[in-house]
Amino acid sequence: MQFHQHQAAFRRHAQTSSRRDFLQRLGAGMGSIGLASVLQPLRSLAASPDVPLLPRGPHFAPRAKRVIQLFMPGGPSQVDTFDYKPLLAKHAGERPEVVNRKTLRNTKNGLMPSPFAFQQYGQSGKWVSDIFPHVGQCADDISFIHSMHTNIPEHAGAMMMMNVGALQPNRPSMGAWLVYGLGTENQNLPGFVAMSPRAQPRGTLANWGNAFLPGSHAGSYVNIAEMKPDALMRDLNNSRLPAPEQRRQVDLLAQLNQQHLAALERDQDLEASISALEMAFRMQASVPDVFDISQESQATRDLYGDSEFGKGCLLSRRLIEQGVRVVQLSLSIDGYDIAWDTGHDNIADGHAKLAKACDQGIAALIHDLKARGLFDDTLLVWGGEFGRAPTSEGAKGRDHDHFGYTTWLAGGGVKRGFTYGATDEFGCSAVENRVHVHDLHATILHLMGLDHERLTYRFSGRDYRLTDVAGHVVHDLLA
Amino acid sequence: MARRFLTPYSTAPARLARALRGGGLALLSLTHALAADSPTPEQFEFFENRIRPVLASECYQCHSHDAKKLKGNLLLDSREGFLRGGDSGPALVPGDPDASLLIKAVRYKDQESAMPPKKRLRDDQIADFEAWVRMGSPWPESAAAPLTATAAKDYDWAKLRAEHWAFRPMQRPSPPSVFLTAWPRNPIDHFVLARLEAANLTPSPPAAPAALIRRAYLDLIGLPPSPEALNAFLQDSSPEAFEKVVDHLLASPQYGQRWGRHWLDVARYSDGLGGYLDAAPLPEAWRYRDWVVDALNRDLPYDQFVRQQIAGDLLSEDRADGLATGFFAVGPTYNTDGGDPEAEAQTRAETLADRVDTFSRAFLGLTVACARCHDHKFDPITARDYYALAGIFNNTATSHLPIAPREVVEAFDRAQAAIQGQEKKIKSASEPGGDPSQVPNLQAELERLRQAAPPAYPKAHMFADSGNSDLPVAIRGDLRKPGEPAPRRFLQIVAGENPTLFKEGSGRRQLAAAVIDPTNPLTARVMVNRVWKHHFGQALARTPSNFGILGEKPTHPELLDWLATTFIDQGWSLKKLHRLILLSATWRSGSHYRAQAFTQDGENRLLWRMNPRPLEVESWRDSLLAVTGELDPALHGPPSDRILEDKRRTLYGTISRNGDRHPSDEFLRLFDFPTPRSTSETRAASTVPQQYLFMLNSAFMIQRAQALTDRLQREAPDDPTRIARAYQLLYSRLPRPQEIELGLTFLADTASGAPASRWPSYAQVLLSAHEFRQIQ
Repeated sequence: MQFHQHQAAFRRHAQTSSRRDFLQRLGAGMGSIGLASVLQPLRSLAASPDVPLLPRGPHFAPRAKRVIQLFMPGGPSQVDTFDYKPLLAKHAGERPEVVNRKTLRNTKNGLMPSPFAFQQYGQSGKWVSDIFPHVGQCADDISFIHSMHTNIPEHAGAMMMMNVGALQPNRPSMGAWLVYGLGTENQNLPGFVAMSPRAQPRGTLANWGNAFLPGSHAGSYVNIAEMKPDALMRDLNNSRLPAPEQRRQVDLLAQLNQQHLAALERDQDLEASISALEMAFRMQASVPDVFDISQESQATRDLYGDSEFGKGCLLSRRLIEQGVRVVQLSLSIDGYDIAWDTGHDNIADGHAKLAKACDQGIAALIHDLKARGLFDDTLLVWGGEFGRAPTSEGAKGRDHDHFGYTTWLAGGGVKRGFTYGATDEFGCSAVENRVHVHDLHATILHLMGLDHERLTYRFSGRDYRLTDVAGHVVHDLLA
Repeated sequence: MARRFLTPYSTAPARLARALRGGGLALLSLTHALAADSPTPEQFEFFENRIRPVLASECYQCHSHDAKKLKGNLLLDSREGFLRGGDSGPALVPGDPDASLLIKAVRYKDQESAMPPKKRLRDDQIADFEAWVRMGSPWPESAAAPLTATAAKDYDWAKLRAEHWAFRPMQRPSPPSVFLTAWPRNPIDHFVLARLEAANLTPSPPAAPAALIRRAYLDLIGLPPSPEALNAFLQDSSPEAFEKVVDHLLASPQYGQRWGRHWLDVARYSDGLGGYLDAAPLPEAWRYRDWVVDALNRDLPYDQFVRQQIAGDLLSEDRADGLATGFFAVGPTYNTDGGDPEAEAQTRAETLADRVDTFSRAFLGLTVACARCHDHKFDPITARDYYALAGIFNNTATSHLPIAPREVVEAFDRAQAAIQGQEKKIKSASEPGGDPSQVPNLQAELERLRQAAPPAYPKAHMFADSGNSDLPVAIRGDLRKPGEPAPRRFLQIVAGENPTLFKEGSGRRQLAAAVIDPTNPLTARVMVNRVWKHHFGQALARTPSNFGILGEKPTHPELLDWLATTFIDQGWSLKKLHRLILLSATWRSGSHYRAQAFTQDGENRLLWRMNPRPLEVESWRDSLLAVTGELDPALHGPPSDRILEDKRRTLYGTISRNGDRHPSDEFLRLFDFPTPRSTSETRAASTVPQQYLFMLNSAFMIQRAQALTDRLQREAPDDPTRIARAYQLLYSRLPRPQEIELGLTFLADTASGAPASRWPSYAQVLLSAHEFRQIQ
């Protein structure tokens, strides 16, 4: 295809032309104007408000440098995945007072045992459901939080709480806050990439949006079912011009801008504008490059498996390896925007299918990160917006449960083979060491070297935070 | 900073709750320790979390100022009410639960006094009440209590009004005298020059005529002058030459398209299509957009402009006058999808917050929405002020309503009813038992009715009154927890200690009158400051939607007041205001860099030069189409969600509230278009690589480059004259010799196997250049 020829050409160019070459070419054509000014030591761009993505120092030494959020929209059931409750079988059909709480649909049925068997894994002896055999193998690398709770049992609001820290969609997403706080390591790629196969999670853009933060902090969304790099970034290739021709065009444009801006003596704008133009030229090669998973060995591709989500996991690793700060990979099968919500009717069917779609990829990601020495400073966050009740809805399903559910963390800075907090004996409500979503956010920010109370942005007369006016770092989770 | 600002409400109650869960001992020590002294924040927290919500949900229906019918003469919405008691005597003996009627009632011991009447409270709630009485019944009401929702009593309004510049009455200062008397063209210049002279700075020399006319065109209509208009101006040696250009531009319909867009930023205009909770499209939002453009073009006085947007539907019988309230209706109206009570209350609260926030920042430059959960932390705005305004909007429905005269609507409805009746007749005639022989006649009659029926009438998204009641202060912003009453009225900092209460319907008519009252110190100042910003790139007060304590003070307070009072004296005419500003020597200053002035005042706060500034995305795209000769001058109509394929001005692109629905959104976002979730006071000016990807690779730019190439081929005979023509069209100037040289070299270089003609490539570079995207 023509596109690939272009890409090959661009790759060659990107590899051979350094920034200095570029500036020299620029200077050579410029006559008397500004060669010296272009080649003089570059000002610190960190001071420039117009280059918002440059890396910035955290508040304190970070435990993790990047985040991969494995988002499970729709509410995975805790008692059918990682929060083992053998008492459910013994008390099946009963409705003890402790589980007699109002779920979304106000279901009144008794306890329903998990349709899945559980096994113990690793040295930690963690009980994990048989639908997550691969993740079970990694139990010794994971910190499970069984005492999560959130505000409401409705998808949209709870998903906002999980991803933007508020029930309403008009706040910046966690990823946007992280990029705002830390910048990003690779100026040729976006700082925050959101991905899902098929459907976008409900709430779409708000889950990775910037709200009132500068627009460049928004996540760039890509649908990985298509795996098209130009879907990540619009106008990534020129259908008309060969690379060398565009190189000339870029040089001429840089020259004209240089002359114009020199007259106004606005160095900062000039520098920002020249580097943005040069980055644009290079992105045409770097973006398709990072999405090209055919560059991975067959063994690596086999490790991650064939599922779309598994490929997303591999892609997540490639992205963070290239310096992307935050990846949000959401599960979706069958084009459903709240995948795990199939649990209303039938836990056995729906959950087995959903776990199968992501289990191998997640475990592969953990193995691969460890093999590459990236696990120690990459934070993985697995979980949905709430869990599901231990009581039944209809004959085989479970209603939403926001009183208690499970989220797990792994990698950069968190304990391994560890379990924190607990639900009651039937898995309905968080009762021990309760962790609200705000606390989870405070902890994630802390691991990334940011104080959630200091990471603020002044908007419409108020300082906003990801954690609003709440949140406590869960220090017990830290390694 | 953040810590000081954001009181961590959540921590204290959590700690207290843990203590309480810990058992009686902790509770005992808490009550014991605190009974002797004045109440502590934790006790107030306990009241707010455990007592007030129960009072509100179980007692206030019959025992509060808001009760429809007060029972037993007992008011339980203040501590005094408890102590005074009702028909049965005092309800409370602080410190002694067993002697308190309240406790007797909630314990449900005897049938007579049991309260609440329908259902006994839960045991833990009763225990809370007992604990609260034992503590001495702390009730946070004074300003000293950190968690009181409102503490209005302790504000010294007269003092507060005198202390902060924006609340002081407007003055009419005389223009100061200056040394350089030859420079000023009008009083604006006296104010500016006096400050420059005080700082030992001189104003910049005036911009060159070509630069000046280009600036005027881009500023007032958002399009560059044609080479013909440019030359006509350059050849006009009369002293009024520039004045004529300004008047011509102000009279052009394109003025409304350009300046209407500035207002639409403030109005957080979108065509709906927000996120999951405010996803509804607003298919006729564009009628409000067109109203704004027309209102500016006919120079509707600003006070009327404001009045109609707040209360247009209440001002006349003409339904079309309600169109202006689209200002509010185009904003987010949130819904919920599961009926969870917390989510329901949140969505209603969030919708009201949008209305109050947009209203107060847009018209008054005040962040009243900060007082939604507690009194404003910095400004003299109370939670009662917030709910006094929210109450107005709570009595207002956002609807999609006809804007045609009543007769037209009725005629349409009658005709439709007749058509439906006829269809029914045909149906029953065709059914078994009917008379099928009648069908042809009936059919013919139906056809006649259809022919005669008038066409569908236009509708618009607007406000309509839906009630006439006050909203109580919501404890910590939770509408399910009503606090003290907050009768509808204007802000006390502006309207004084005893403001008129608004009782006519929703109260919007009275609200509008309060906003445009010439003694209101904010409205005129806020608007002239916005206008100044768009003429200079920086406002006099650099936070145009926040004139509060945390906003920036004006660089030239006297000038701001002089402009505001002049604005009112000139009948709130925006066009007269533009004219005044553009004809000043200050506005005509050159924008070139001057080392000494730059070192002294790099931010140009003293206005020693005109600020060079980027063109907004709309004007940039419009200018691209204008210089290639492709721009469609259409003035009205529904939006296009593929604006890059449309030739109308960018104003006519579909805008989704999250900026994520359409290709047009994506394009606008890329170039710093604000996400219209809330009112916007200023645009960012970012530089990101994706912008250059658009310039280098997008179909839109490639097409414009081709169109410019075609135009130049048509209009000039050879490459040097084509280059000259291009510079005139794009940059309103002739190229310097070295620029022609550069262009010719580029065009001649075909060594890299370039296309036969490199003109499109070259044209694309010229169109992408920084100079084309700037007002200088």
